[in-house]
Amino acid sequence: MGFLAPWFLGGLAALGVPIFVHLLRRHVTTPRPVSSLMFFERGIQSSTRHRRLRYLLLFALRFSLVLVIVLAFANPFVRRVSADANGRLLLIVLDNSFSMRAGARFRDAKQQALELLTKKPHTQKAQIMALGGQLEVLTQPITDEAQLRAALEGIEPGDGHASFGELGRELRTMSESSHSPADMHLFSDMQHSAMPANFADMVMPSNIKLLLHQVAQGDSPPNWTVESVNAPAELSDPKDPKRSRVTAVIAGFNTPAASKTISLVINGKVIASKKVDVPANGRTTVEFSPLDVGYGFSRCEVRIEGGDAFSSDDSSLFAVRRSDPERVLFVHATGDTRSAIYFGAALDAAAHASFALQSVAAEQATDLDPSRFAFVVLSDAVVLPSIFEHALAAYVAKGGSVFIALGTSAAHHERVPLWGSDARDPRDYARSGGAASVGQVDFSYPATEQAEPGRDNGGWATVKVLYAVPVDPAQARVAARLTDGTPLLLEKQMGEGRILLFTSGFDNLTNDLPLHPIFVAFVDRMAHYLSGSEQLSGSRLVDAFVQLRAAAAPVGVSGNVEVIDPDGRRPLSLGEARTIQSFRLQRAGFYQIRFANGRDAVIGVNPDRRESDLAPMSQDLLDLWSGSSSSAPERAPASPSEPQSQPLSLWWYVMLLALLAAMAETGLASRYMSTLREDP
Amino acid sequence: MQRFLDPEVLAGISSLDLLAKTVVDGFVAGLHRSPDFGFSQEFAEYRAYSPGDDLRHVDWNLFARTERCYLKRYRGETNSQLTVLLDASNSMQYTSGPPTKMDYARYIAASLFYLAIRNQRDAAGLIVFDDEVREYIRPSTRPGQLARLFAGLEHAEARARTDFAKPMQHFQNFLHRRGIAILISDFYENPETIIDTVAPLRFHGNEVVLFHILDPQEIRPAMKGSMVLVDLETDQRIEVVPEYTKTTYRVKVDAHIEELRSRALGAGMDYQLLVTNQPLDTALREYLTLRQAGN
Repeated sequence: MGFLAPWFLGGLAALGVPIFVHLLRRHVTTPRPVSSLMFFERGIQSSTRHRRLRYLLLFALRFSLVLVIVLAFANPFVRRVSADANGRLLLIVLDNSFSMRAGARFRDAKQQALELLTKKPHTQKAQIMALGGQLEVLTQPITDEAQLRAALEGIEPGDGHASFGELGRELRTMSESSHSPADMHLFSDMQHSAMPANFADMVMPSNIKLLLHQVAQGDSPPNWTVESVNAPAELSDPKDPKRSRVTAVIAGFNTPAASKTISLVINGKVIASKKVDVPANGRTTVEFSPLDVGYGFSRCEVRIEGGDAFSSDDSSLFAVRRSDPERVLFVHATGDTRSAIYFGAALDAAAHASFALQSVAAEQATDLDPSRFAFVVLSDAVVLPSIFEHALAAYVAKGGSVFIALGTSAAHHERVPLWGSDARDPRDYARSGGAASVGQVDFSYPATEQAEPGRDNGGWATVKVLYAVPVDPAQARVAARLTDGTPLLLEKQMGEGRILLFTSGFDNLTNDLPLHPIFVAFVDRMAHYLSGSEQLSGSRLVDAFVQLRAAAAPVGVSGNVEVIDPDGRRPLSLGEARTIQSFRLQRAGFYQIRFANGRDAVIGVNPDRRESDLAPMSQDLLDLWSGSSSSAPERAPASPSEPQSQPLSLWWYVMLLALLAAMAETGLASRYMSTLREDP
Repeated sequence: MQRFLDPEVLAGISSLDLLAKTVVDGFVAGLHRSPDFGFSQEFAEYRAYSPGDDLRHVDWNLFARTERCYLKRYRGETNSQLTVLLDASNSMQYTSGPPTKMDYARYIAASLFYLAIRNQRDAAGLIVFDDEVREYIRPSTRPGQLARLFAGLEHAEARARTDFAKPMQHFQNFLHRRGIAILISDFYENPETIIDTVAPLRFHGNEVVLFHILDPQEIRPAMKGSMVLVDLETDQRIEVVPEYTKTTYRVKVDAHIEELRSRALGAGMDYQLLVTNQPLDTALREYLTLRQAGN
C-alpha cells in the first residue's frame, strides 16, 4: 500500500484541532463560583463521566473524520495483481493486407491472435482491429470472448496496402479521446514497404505499449510481379500501331535472374505469350501489340505464367473499351475559322483519345442534339440560338460537358452562355504594348494534370496571352491564372455535368497557345476529361475511390447508381444506390459500374504493387518501433497478459468512510449540543 | 415610591443611611392608612397596676374617680429590641447580578435598623458572624446608634465559612432582654442543624426570624453547557452538566427550602425566603408584624 499524493499527509497536522478542542481546551475552562456544592452530590460525578464518555466518542469521530479526509487527499492505493490485467486494454491488430496472402502468413497470424485471445483473463477488456487498406475497428473494448473471437475469425485477407503510419495516426487519434493504457499486439509480416516515409508517423502514443508478432521470419521468398501495365482505356482502331499496344513491367523482388513467360489474357483467353528474361532483383518490359479487342468492354490481364511463392500478384487487370471514334461538336463564331483548325489538329494528335471533330457555325447549330456528342466546344460563340442553348443546358444537367472559349466577340456581348455570370471588361494586353503570360497553373486539375511540371511552368510559361475576358469566379474552380491574376481556365459543376471556361480564344489571335506543344497535351487531357471516358475503363488500385455522381447534385434528382463487385454481388443497398456519391474499390478484380448519368464502366482493380515486396523491416527498426533497445525486444511474449501489479486507488472507499464518520459526528454532536427544554 | 424598594435600584445607592431612609419612607408611605401602625403618643390601653410598675404611668384621674389604680399606656412607649444576626460567610458574596447576597442582607438590615430606631424608637443591635462572632453592636436607642449600626454593616465583609454553632453560644450571652432576633443567612447547612442551633435564642422570649437570602440562580440555575463549579467557601471544584441542574438540583433546593421552613415554623420561629431580585418590603412587613404581635 502506498500513497499517490503523499505530500497531502502534511494535512495530518489538522488532527491537532480535535485534540485541542476535546483534550486540551477542557482543562482551561474557567470555573464558575457557586455558594455551595452541597446540592451537587455524587450523582453528578457519574453523569459527568457519562458525558466524558460521549465526549471521547465525539472526539474519536472527529479525529477519524480528519484522518480519513487527509488520507483521501493523499490518495492511498494498493497493488493488485489481478486488477492489473483489467486495467489495461488488450488491443489485437491483425494485418490483413494483400501481402498477408503470401504463404501461410495470414493463417499463422490469425492463429496466434486467437491463442492470445484464449489466454486473456476473463475480466480484461479487449478490442479487435484489422489493418488493411485502412484500420478497421471491429469491436468496442469488451470482455465478451465469444464476440471477440467471432470478430477475429471474421477477418479475411484483403487486397489493401497496409501502412504503419496510418496505424500510428489512428491510434494517436484514439488515445486523445481515451487515455486508458493498452497493450497493442500487432500480428503482421512487418513488411518494409508498409513503413511511412517519416518514422515519426508510426510511433505509438505513450499509453499504448506495442508488442509485435512477426509471422514471417527470415528472408523474404523470391517474388515476381507485374508491376505496371500501360494500356489504352479506350480503343477505336485495334490496328492503330500507336494506340493498340500493351506495355507491362515485370519486376522481381529478392529474385535471381530468371526467364519468365508473360501472357496477355483478354476475356479469359490467352491472346499472346512472350518469354522475357528478368534480371536478378530487376525489371524488364514486355509489349503486346496489337491489342485486338472486340467492341464494348474487354477484361484484360497480363499474367506471369508458372507461379511463384506469392502467386496472387502474378497478374495485373485492366479493362479496354472499344468504340467508334466519338464526335465532338465544335461551335464557332461565323467569322472564326482558324480555331476549329487548331483545335481539330490538336485533337487528332492526341495519343489516348479518339475523337472526330464536327465543326459548325453558331447560327447553324439550331437543330443539333448535343447528347449525341462526347462534349461540346463553344469557340467565341457567345450568341447561340435559343433552342440550342436550351438543349445545351439540359445536356449539361444530365451529365454532358461543354468547353467555352471566349474570343473577341465577348467584348460586344457581356453575357457568357450557360456560365451564369457575365464577362467583365476585356483585357487587351496587346493594346498596351505587351502580353500577359500564364502565371499559375493547377497541375492537379485533370485537364492540366502533370506529374512533374518543369521549370517552364509545365510548358505554360512561354504562352503569350494578348486578350482575355475576366469572369467572376464565384463558385468555379480556377485551374489557371494569368500573371495579373485574371482567371484563364475555370470549371463549374452544373447538375451532373461540368462546364470549362477558357477566357481567351483558340484562334491564334488572342493568344499563341495553339502554337505551343502544351496545347496538344492540354486538348488531349481536356477531351479525355470532358468526355468522361477516363472513368469508364482502365485500371485502378485497391482502395481508390470512384465518383459515382456529381457532388453538387441534390439527392433524388439523379438516377440510381449500380456497382457490381468482382464476385458478382452488389455491395450497395438500395438506399445507398440513391444517395452515395463515391465508392471505394476494396477488392482486386473487375468492377462493373453504372454511373448516375447512365454511363457504364468496367474497371480492373489491382492491389498496390508495394505489397509485392515481401521484405520485412529490419530488426533494428522493429526494436526501435516497439520502444525496446534490448536485443530481445517484446516482439512475441509467451503470455501477453502476464500478471503485473498495478496500483488500485482507494480514494472512493476512504471518502465513503469520511462520509460515514461525518454523518455519525453530525448525529452525535447535534444530540449533545441540543438544549433541553426549560422545566416549567 | 415602590420602585425604591427594588434591589437593583438600591444597588446604585452607596450610602446605607440614605438607602435605609429611602426604603423605609417608601415603605411607610405605602402603609399610612393602617390603624395598627400609628407611631405617636397616642393612647393605647389601660392596664391594671401591678407592684413594681412605674408610678409615673398611673392615671391618677382615673384613680380619683374609681379608686382603682391603672396604668395608662401609649403606643409610642411600647418599644422593643431588635437584634440582627448577619451571616458574613464567603457564600454570601455570590451573585448572578447586582446586588450580591451580602449587599441584599445589608439593605435589609439597614432598613430594619432605620425603621426600628427612627420610626419605632426600638433599640437595635447587630451581630456579624461567620464561623465566629466578628462584630457585636449591642442594642441601644442612644443617639448615634443608627450610625454605628450602619458602620458595622459597612465593615461586614464576607469571608470564611458559615458555622452556626460557635456564634450562637455567644448570642446566648448577649441577648438578655426579650426582643426580636433576625438571622439573615443563606443557610447552606443541614436544616436540622440550623434549627437546633438557632432554637436556644428563643429561650429568653425572643422572637426569632430566619431571613433566607438566596440568589435567583441558586434556585433556578441556568447553564448552557457543562462547566466546572467552585465552592466559594471550600474551594472544592466539580464538573456539572446542564441536565443535572435542571432536574435533580432543583428538586434538592426546593426540598431544602421546604424543610427549613417547616422546621423553623415547628420550632416557633418565623421563616422568610428572600430572593435577591425581590423588593425589600417583605422583610420590613415581617418585622412589623412580629413587633405588633409582641406587643
